[in-house]
Amino acid sequence: MALADAHALCPDLNTRPADLAAEASALAALRRWAGRYAPMVTADGADGLIADISGVPHLFGGEAALRDDLQARLERAGLHATSAIAETRGAAYALARHGGGIVPEGKVLQGIGHLPVAALRVDFATTEALARVGLTRIADLVGLPRAPLARRFGEALCLRLDQALGQREEPLTAAPELPPFGVRMTLPEPIGLQADVMAGLTRLLERLCITLAQHHRGARRMRFELRRVDRGTVTVEIGLARPMREPKRIAALFAKGVEELDAGFGIDALRLSAPLTEPLAPEQIGGAPGGRGTIRHDDALADLLSSLGNRIGFERVLRLLPAESLIPERSFVQAAAAFSETEPCLHRGPPRPMVIFPPEPIRAALGTPPCRFRWRRMSFTTLRAAGPERITPEWWLDDPAWRSGMRDYWRIETREGPRLWLFATPQAQAGTEWYVQGEFV
Amino acid sequence: MTHALPPYAELCVTSNFTFLTGASHPEELVTRAAELGLAAIAITDRNSVAGVVRAYSALKELARLRAESTPEGAAPPPLPKLIVGARLVLTDSAVEWLALPTDLAAWSRLTQLLSLGKRRAPKGACELTQSDLLERAEGMILIALPPDPLDDDAPKATRNTLREVARAVPGRGFLGAAPRYDGRDQARFDALARIGQGVNLPMVALGDVLMHRAARRPLADVLTCLREGCTIDTIGTRRLANGERRLKSGAEMARLFHRYPAALRRTLDIANACAFQLSELRYQYPDEAQNGEPAQDRLERLTREGLHWRYPAGPPPKIIHRVEKELTLIREVAYAPYFLTVHDIVQFARSKGILCQGRGSAANSVVCYLLGITEVPPESITLIFERFISKERGEPPDIDVDFEHERREEVIQWIYARYGRERAGLTAAVIHFRSRAAIREVGKVMGLSQDVIARLSGQIWGWSSSTPGEDRLREAGLSLADHRVQLAVRLIGEIIGFPRHLSQHVGGFVITHGRLDALCPIENAAMEDRTIIEWDKDDIDALGLLKVDILALGMLSAIRRAFGLLAEHRGQRFSLASVPPEDPAIYDMLCRADAIGVFQVESRAQLNFLPRMRPRTFYDLVCEVAIVRPGPIQGGMVHPFLNRRMGREPIEDLGPAMMEVLGRTYGVPLFQEQAMQIAVVAAGFSAAEADRLRRSLATFKRMGTIGTFRDRFISGMLARGYEADFAARCFAQIEGFGSYGFPESHAASFARLVYISAWLKCHHQAIFTCALLNSQPMGFYAPAQLVRDARDHGVEVRPVSVNHSLWDNTLEHRPDGALALRLGFRQIKGLREEDARWIVAARANGYPDVESLWRRAGVRPETLERLAEADAFAPLGLTRRDALWAAQALKAPAPLPLFGPDGEGSTEPTVSLPQMTLGQEVIEDYLSLRLSLRAHPLELLRPRLPESLPHERLTQAVGRITITGLVITRQRPGTAAGVVFLTLEDESGTANVVIWKKVYEAFRTAVIAGRLVRVTGRIERDGPVLHLIAERVEDLSSLLVTLGRPQIHDDDEGAAQGAQPSAYHRPRPTARHPREQAKKLFPSRDFH
Repeated sequence: MALADAHALCPDLNTRPADLAAEASALAALRRWAGRYAPMVTADGADGLIADISGVPHLFGGEAALRDDLQARLERAGLHATSAIAETRGAAYALARHGGGIVPEGKVLQGIGHLPVAALRVDFATTEALARVGLTRIADLVGLPRAPLARRFGEALCLRLDQALGQREEPLTAAPELPPFGVRMTLPEPIGLQADVMAGLTRLLERLCITLAQHHRGARRMRFELRRVDRGTVTVEIGLARPMREPKRIAALFAKGVEELDAGFGIDALRLSAPLTEPLAPEQIGGAPGGRGTIRHDDALADLLSSLGNRIGFERVLRLLPAESLIPERSFVQAAAAFSETEPCLHRGPPRPMVIFPPEPIRAALGTPPCRFRWRRMSFTTLRAAGPERITPEWWLDDPAWRSGMRDYWRIETREGPRLWLFATPQAQAGTEWYVQGEFV
Repeated sequence: MTHALPPYAELCVTSNFTFLTGASHPEELVTRAAELGLAAIAITDRNSVAGVVRAYSALKELARLRAESTPEGAAPPPLPKLIVGARLVLTDSAVEWLALPTDLAAWSRLTQLLSLGKRRAPKGACELTQSDLLERAEGMILIALPPDPLDDDAPKATRNTLREVARAVPGRGFLGAAPRYDGRDQARFDALARIGQGVNLPMVALGDVLMHRAARRPLADVLTCLREGCTIDTIGTRRLANGERRLKSGAEMARLFHRYPAALRRTLDIANACAFQLSELRYQYPDEAQNGEPAQDRLERLTREGLHWRYPAGPPPKIIHRVEKELTLIREVAYAPYFLTVHDIVQFARSKGILCQGRGSAANSVVCYLLGITEVPPESITLIFERFISKERGEPPDIDVDFEHERREEVIQWIYARYGRERAGLTAAVIHFRSRAAIREVGKVMGLSQDVIARLSGQIWGWSSSTPGEDRLREAGLSLADHRVQLAVRLIGEIIGFPRHLSQHVGGFVITHGRLDALCPIENAAMEDRTIIEWDKDDIDALGLLKVDILALGMLSAIRRAFGLLAEHRGQRFSLASVPPEDPAIYDMLCRADAIGVFQVESRAQLNFLPRMRPRTFYDLVCEVAIVRPGPIQGGMVHPFLNRRMGREPIEDLGPAMMEVLGRTYGVPLFQEQAMQIAVVAAGFSAAEADRLRRSLATFKRMGTIGTFRDRFISGMLARGYEADFAARCFAQIEGFGSYGFPESHAASFARLVYISAWLKCHHQAIFTCALLNSQPMGFYAPAQLVRDARDHGVEVRPVSVNHSLWDNTLEHRPDGALALRLGFRQIKGLREEDARWIVAARANGYPDVESLWRRAGVRPETLERLAEADAFAPLGLTRRDALWAAQALKAPAPLPLFGPDGEGSTEPTVSLPQMTLGQEVIEDYLSLRLSLRAHPLELLRPRLPESLPHERLTQAVGRITITGLVITRQRPGTAAGVVFLTLEDESGTANVVIWKKVYEAFRTAVIAGRLVRVTGRIERDGPVLHLIAERVEDLSSLLVTLGRPQIHDDDEGAAQGAQPSAYHRPRPTARHPREQAKKLFPSRDFH
């Protein structure tokens, strides 16, 4: 059903766009929580979890009690879920998606026979083909000889059927998880010197970076925790402008934080972790034409962004990116430098000033273009003028700044020196007014 | 005031015939140019001259208006001169050229150049190189449009190109300079002037116009989005920075080019040099002389021969007199070759056994009858030859011939073969944006969501050309308060009527003696082996070119098939002319409104009309065909006609002059000719004026100038003592006739087909239905209704069978001598004709099982599945599911005998599949065949619809009742002010439902989208005709889906403990919305 149809049927319908990433992460969180019921829990499709509870139910007082416990906890957390327990993965899958329940030991067929064949994890085309010959329920299939079935609908159907009925093994494998990226070091004697802390950090960094390299990841955020002898903990946290795993360059970013920290009576344990990592493929270092030790340009820029970002906040280090618009104010956008890439600016057409600022009205403008005017309490006399460049508002947007209608832009060279970008608003209701919007260099 | 303006001629104008680029109609551009007082305007579309005739007609109309509005004696103010040309975009150069022909020869070279480029490119494109241009540049003025010199990446290459061309066209090459208003215009002009000096191309001022007014800028941006496939939010820098690409006045151009006055002056020189006018296009029709016999002699000989075979007993003197008169006139206007062309085409068709018949005004001519072009005996109708050809009018006659729709292609290819592709071409049809496309495309550009667009356009009925109203927007979940929505609605309104692309006309051929591509460009059509010219039929009319319409008519195919079947099964041979005339049994049948499948009168409006009209003679059928048309209906002619015919109202005496015109039709004008004659007799028009009024109605509507004609017409009638009300009605009818009226001769041609098809239906129902089914798609009803109608008339219909059916539906002899209809493979959805032929060819004594068919006919397994789904294996004792089960086993495209039962394989264990319910069988029938011989779906649903009355009991019903049925047709005639007519079908019959606008608004979705609807309302009787006036309409389509569900199993024992009730418990056929599925299952035919 199309959304508009649904709205027509139910005008008060509340809708939200699906957020698949959020759903996936919520499911991952639920999976970790479900670890309390079984050692092996894994995601099953985009909407399910499956757990191998062999040997577990007696801890909860039986299968029914386990399921009740699970349902009750989920309900308390405000989640609606259907759950099923069966002796095969296929049967549990089918039942969980068609009402839920518990299939008693050895009664798989009775438990799931009434379910539609679509519950067997077969594709839509197979379901359709089965429906056309009237085989709509799992029970319809069970009695049929397997060879004709496989001949018509493929081996996959028989496999799924056998798996659901427990005639074929289907082990549960949990996907490997990333290890926690963290290392620690306990010191025999408390230390207090900055150089000692940095030496310890360097050692930890080396170990951590090796782990990162093994998993092809780079750190975007790092936390350095130092435990003082008085049981207090001080933390230094840094962000990185791009994923990174080079100990030296990361250590340099910690220097300032370490410098400022209060070691108290001494520090007896260090812990370094990378709470946020991103994939980073192995790359060749060195061997570049510049010889050993050369830092490439973008690395240097990344280091600069990292150190600036760690001081004033990454969201405050911005970069200008070109935007596709003929409106001067919208021909660029600002983006956080650490989270964007540079884009080439291919400007063609009429020249644009180096600096653009919000329009500032000028006074005592006479003529078109004005031969003399006052701006920022200074008087200017026009030497040369080029224009007009006529720009009309983007008609599909209602931009308050452009309510005065189209603008005629002029490049004005003044006797006083500044080369200014002026515009007039011939369509404005209050009559033509002049503004300065930019300055050429 | 105009004298004070500096004179200026605009030489570069892109109209909206540069599809998805230009933002103004040629008419608007010309009108605006006249307002601005320009000296000339050139229409230069991209590699095309498709829009120039529109501009030409508009200018003619403007001239007429100016002449009318200026007092006698005074010269009307001058209008801009129209220059025709094209903007040539070459594949091998960045420089574009405006090509403006100065004389007829240069025009021919331009059209040949465009034809060359278009014929070598796929449809809609044009591939031309600079050398192509230079070869044919003689006599053309070429104006270069180089890339912007301030942003040119390869200035040297540009300069070299310009220099080459300048050398090739000495004195006729120019360099165009157009202002862009980007702050660098003066610098640009300077650069261009410098380049022009260097390459010896003088600079000329251009506007590079895209729209007639700056207000079209949003639309131009939307068109850019459509062209580039982006939305308005991602258009970025591709939008127009300002609205300066509009037509500008001389004063404004003078201000912009104040430093280059010569560039402005040169525009006038060029305009002056372009002496070619479209009115010079006098083309020669092929002379059609054969074996040294001149055309006129041949025509006269053939006509005399016609007198012999049409009137074996000797022609009546009146006819001889008429023939002489016609031949004299034809000689005077020299149209004999034209008649001969049509005669030859018709002769060819006859020789191939293709049925054909002339329609339209040609039946006004006895010569056409004698040549065998038309079939209506001249005695049976009033002949007005002037309607067909007149000397004063100086316009070519128009002979339209209908051919069988399936074999028309043979005739078309014969014409191409006879005249050659240089001499014959189909006219184009300009496809315009209509509401639906406009909403879809503009909505997408404006960023409305897909489903909102689908909803909005889904509400549009048929080919509407109006913008969606506020209520429709609200229903789609949009608010007019929203700025975006407002803009979108305005733009949708603006874009409606814009040309979108060229397509081929249904069959209008233009044939020339010389080369056709010297007249206008020829391009490839989307269909293979077709070539079309760039102009449509209005343009052809405006230029006075002759065209022959080769039209397709499905009913002719059906009649030919029926005649064939009659000869085969009954040994009776008939032709269109030899069907027994005036058979009372046929009129009895028509009076009962038993006319499903009969040509023209099967439509719902006609079915309602028949019992009231009670036709008894052929001429009644002529009136019947003509009256149920938008023209007479809008003119309010229907009720007076009926009342006077039934004697309920006296025939008012309108005076002898009018009674002569209207006497045959009870004083009510029904036919085009009558409306025109009223204009002459009652409103004082001359005959030529009256006809021009009718012909140019389309132009008037585009230009909005109908008003002056109306005033003249009505005041003319009032002055002659007619009532104002009657005058207004007559004029309304002329307006309607402009596009929707029938001339009497045309109605007579159609009435013949009505009679013949009714005769077939009346006496040979099985043959008739078989022929209709084999000619699908055509007509008003789907196969399901045709089959049902045949069964209602006692014809046995047998199901599709692999051992009995052919591709076509066939007839089988029953022991009692009657014919039974055997459904053919063509009724099975998705089955290919080739497969069917193989199945028939390899059948021998029949197939014993599915596998033998697969082996012997060698068809693909999917085909077997199609057959199984259609239950075509039933005669083999296989149920649908058994057959499907067997077919599903055969996966490989070719048999492998080694592993079959004959080879090493062993027989498969037998499998017993669940039985199908009757409901499932019916659903499957509909899915595969779109009809079912088993039961009507309503029969199965009846127990669940206790409140609904079966349709057969409607005749006794009174007051408020409820009925339920499948929607078989749905109509909203443009003439009926928003009223919707539904035809519902249940197991016992059909019912007519009338839904007034208010009810329709309340139940819009059910009315538009419902397949199975329940209607509650009042019964209304009009004589023998029954209507249900709807008060409430419900969509019950979801019930249809339940038919296919298996019986609910109650063996839930052993089901899982703690299972929650769930919607999943009962298997659902598919996950689709019931209405969507029902739409596929039980399609209705929607008309507008």
